[in-house]
Amino acid sequence: MEPSSPDTPAKPPRSLAGRIFDVLSGFGLATILLLLMGLLTWFATLEQVEVGLYLTLKKYFHWQSFFLLPEIKGKIVPLPLPGGYWVGALLLVNLTLGGVIRIRKGWKHAGNLIAHAGIIFMLVAGGVAHHFSERGNMALPEGQTSDTAEDYFEYVVEVAEITDGKPRDIHVIRGKHLTDLSAGHNRLFRLPAMPFDLEIGGYLRNALPVAITERAPASNELVADGYYLMSRPDEVNDRGEPALEANTAACYGRIVDRDGTKSTPIILAGASFHPFTIERDGRTFTLDMRKRLWPMPFTVQLDEFIADFHPGTSRPAKFISKITRIEHDSAAKVTIQMNEPMRYEGLTFFQASYGSQSSNSGQMFSVFEVVRNPADKWPEYSLYVVTFGMLVTFLTKFGGYLAAGSRRKKP
Amino acid sequence: MTATRPSTGRWIAAVLAAAGLATVFYNLLMDNMPKGEVREVENYTPWSAETLRTAAPLPIQDGGRIKPLSTYAGFTMLRLHGARSMKIEDGKGKEYKLKPTEWLLDILFRPQLAIHQPTFRIDNSAAIEAIGIEPRGKRDRYSYADLSAGREKLGELAQTYSGIDSKERDPMQTQVLDLASNLRAYEGLLGWFSFARNGVTLAGSSENGAPDKRAEISSLMMVAETLQQQLEESRAAGRGIPEGLQNLLQQVLDAANYAKNELFILPPSDRSQDQWKSAGNVIMDTMQGKSKEPETYIADIQLLETTARSLGGGEATFRENLAKLRDRLTQRAADRGEAKSVSLEVAYYQRNWFLNALVFFLIGTLATMAMWTFGYNRAGLISAWITTAATAAGLIYCLIAITKRCIIMQRPPVGNLYDTIIFIGTTVVLLALIVEWLTRRRFALGIAPILGTALIVLSRRFELGDGADHMDPLVAVLDSNFWLTTHVITITLGYSAGLLAAFLSSAYILLRGLDLDGGDRDLRRSFTRAVYGMICVTLFLSLVGTVLGGIWANYSWGRFWGWDPKENGALLICIWTLAILHARLGGYIREWGLHLSSIFTAVIVTFSWWHVNFLGVGLHNYGFTAGKNTIWAFYAAMAVILAAGFVAMAVEKNRRAPQSQAAATD
Repeated sequence: MEPSSPDTPAKPPRSLAGRIFDVLSGFGLATILLLLMGLLTWFATLEQVEVGLYLTLKKYFHWQSFFLLPEIKGKIVPLPLPGGYWVGALLLVNLTLGGVIRIRKGWKHAGNLIAHAGIIFMLVAGGVAHHFSERGNMALPEGQTSDTAEDYFEYVVEVAEITDGKPRDIHVIRGKHLTDLSAGHNRLFRLPAMPFDLEIGGYLRNALPVAITERAPASNELVADGYYLMSRPDEVNDRGEPALEANTAACYGRIVDRDGTKSTPIILAGASFHPFTIERDGRTFTLDMRKRLWPMPFTVQLDEFIADFHPGTSRPAKFISKITRIEHDSAAKVTIQMNEPMRYEGLTFFQASYGSQSSNSGQMFSVFEVVRNPADKWPEYSLYVVTFGMLVTFLTKFGGYLAAGSRRKKP
Repeated sequence: MTATRPSTGRWIAAVLAAAGLATVFYNLLMDNMPKGEVREVENYTPWSAETLRTAAPLPIQDGGRIKPLSTYAGFTMLRLHGARSMKIEDGKGKEYKLKPTEWLLDILFRPQLAIHQPTFRIDNSAAIEAIGIEPRGKRDRYSYADLSAGREKLGELAQTYSGIDSKERDPMQTQVLDLASNLRAYEGLLGWFSFARNGVTLAGSSENGAPDKRAEISSLMMVAETLQQQLEESRAAGRGIPEGLQNLLQQVLDAANYAKNELFILPPSDRSQDQWKSAGNVIMDTMQGKSKEPETYIADIQLLETTARSLGGGEATFRENLAKLRDRLTQRAADRGEAKSVSLEVAYYQRNWFLNALVFFLIGTLATMAMWTFGYNRAGLISAWITTAATAAGLIYCLIAITKRCIIMQRPPVGNLYDTIIFIGTTVVLLALIVEWLTRRRFALGIAPILGTALIVLSRRFELGDGADHMDPLVAVLDSNFWLTTHVITITLGYSAGLLAAFLSSAYILLRGLDLDGGDRDLRRSFTRAVYGMICVTLFLSLVGTVLGGIWANYSWGRFWGWDPKENGALLICIWTLAILHARLGGYIREWGLHLSSIFTAVIVTFSWWHVNFLGVGLHNYGFTAGKNTIWAFYAAMAVILAAGFVAMAVEKNRRAPQSQAAATD
């Protein structure tokens, strides 16, 4: 991108598309968007202190936020700003058109081109991580094993047949098929392995089953076996910020037998302690709403958890989980601690939390955050590209400065 | 600088600079020297230098690491007294300046003198009034004896105020809580050796009307097993504990409690135990039969008793015993593979590297004023050489100090806010000297010692306010030498480059605005190139540092970006420098615009480096207030410079307009 020189001979007038391209790829737009992004970041930093991070991000950087008025210490600043998502999107367009397509090609500009491409790669990495990464947690007491992680947010409906006291043939209805089933909307889920199908509706993202004898329904909610689902606002943490992972989703279901007979409504709730049980043809089935369990390709056994503090202080020095990773017939000893997660088979296990089982036993448990991020290493690769590009640019300029002999010898 | 004779403009600039410096030092002086006369401590005699040298390297476990007693004394004194020295007078007109180790030795071994020393710094006299004591001044220092009448009331108030959320407390409540905490720590030291000084009274042991006999705690520790047996036999027989025994055990318990909470100087021989013991710990462990190495600890207590009591026999004997104690404990620490850097640390604080660097930078600053005032003549040249030599000496002192700190801490140089100040102070001087080497125009040379002075002064103020030992180990999440070396150092270097760019531009505004450069276009171009280069360096370091931080977060927690204020601050520097470079490439800003934008970089760097710490994470209350005021003062100064820049730009454009018109008419 170079500014047009005033000495350039008169050119035929640019087409409308050409002018739009010039604007979208220009330095002017880049400067304005960078300044806007700076202002948004600055206001968002100040505002999050008052209203919390979640609401601030929603206000400043959510795609549904087109314009906003910043607020400092509860007072509105009369400065309308465009939403950060759209400023960022336009900046990406400007970066691509100006920094990659329009930029002059050649050795002199190679560094800039590489750096811009690296930034685009970094932004793409952020987008991929945002849309395609999965997160869950695995809590393990010392000496115990697990091969599943629990999703932080997604509630699913699980239907299973109980054989010898254990669930078999578990059928999982994913959250994405449930969340749109608000009151009055039902969906029939076919369960070929079971002697029945399941109709689900009335999904609520945070609700509790309440007995009608305890509290009368407020607005004609469906009643199932003397209970109805009472919707609740999203859970919040101590700072008043939404804590969506603490929500307990719920919905209504009806068993649809093979002859088309529908049962009376049943309640499936994340807040229930036990699954709903039904009998068909002498077989026992359970229906449950719970957070999605995420099967791991290996089993993890927590051998020992160590919480180490700097001597004589309450300042943490190390939190160490010593685990055995069991896979097929092989076992490997691994240590997971702060700054040293376990990366294996596309999954990363981070040391997230810990606690003691009970005040007397002294037995500890460890909580791992489990992440699958297809773009896990991309920011690192993009950093190499950007660093290389900037180094080429700046060192070229610096070399030119030295070569020009512009250093003053002596006055 | 042009080769002109000293002009009025230069003298105006020099006077302005001198006034600025005087303001800085006046504030510094006022901050460090609260009002109040030198206090009298009757019959005070100073410790000999040899005794102080003996005591200083005694190893102690504090703040999660092993450090010399002198360091512990320094930071305890800083926290309680607000300074590392104290002036007293002996009642006969002779004044003494007490340093931390002397002050601590007085508390431990001569409490009768220590309680009259003005140890407690009070910045809010309302707190003193609240505990029922007549205040001496708005800000003053009080002795333990002064405060003892309000001790009970202080405890009551502290209990009440501790229930108030820290963000909701007013300054008086905060001061009361601090004072209560400081007083508790002081009492823990004051009574620490009382077990050694007093021993225990054997009730009913008097003969012929003489007072009851006394026994040493160590003697009781030797017969702890027998005493335990007596206790068990009494219990088994259903008898109560014999009165004499109960009295004895109560005295031991009291003595142990006084010596329990401070001064962890006894390393266990057992390497698997990482926590060192205080005298109170080992007395109780041995008396209860819980100690794994009672013989070692009995010998320790005996030596502590001997040392404390030997002071009555003269300082030489005391010193001899203190040396034995030090050697015994140092050897045991060495056997555990600890206390390797204790001697180095003693020397580090004795040499006072940063204070010496400050002196050199000050000389450099004064020489700079002369250099800029005289211009390019012989006097200017001499001043330039003095500036170079003094700045280089200051830089070397800083580099040595930072290297020594790294060896002592066993980690890279930057791990907390204090580290960033001294690191930025050092690297900004280094960068300025590199710019000077490249430009040879004496403007970066002059800025180097000024920035060095300002940042070392800032580091001292911060240390004073924070009152914490910044060499203590880091929390688990920061415990990664790789990331501290890559991410933290890169981003901190970015701050240095940004600040240097801003101050170079400030100098440019001053120079061009006051016409000190005589219209020297070559000089202006040189300035502009230097600033442009520094902005490029700022962008490079900040961008790489910010992304490295994201990679660290992704590596450790599985998320690249969390919109944390510190992350946002770093992003703001990247965005701002990118905006400057794009605006310049697009021709939207030229020389004036570049320099005015560059000055604003200092505001953004300060927000990122310093201000975000106040948004949610609290520092120590003194540091908090002092730091916050400093930030606003800095923002105001930058606003003034920016405003001056805009005015100067407008004036110059107005002056040029008629000339252009005239030229056009011609």
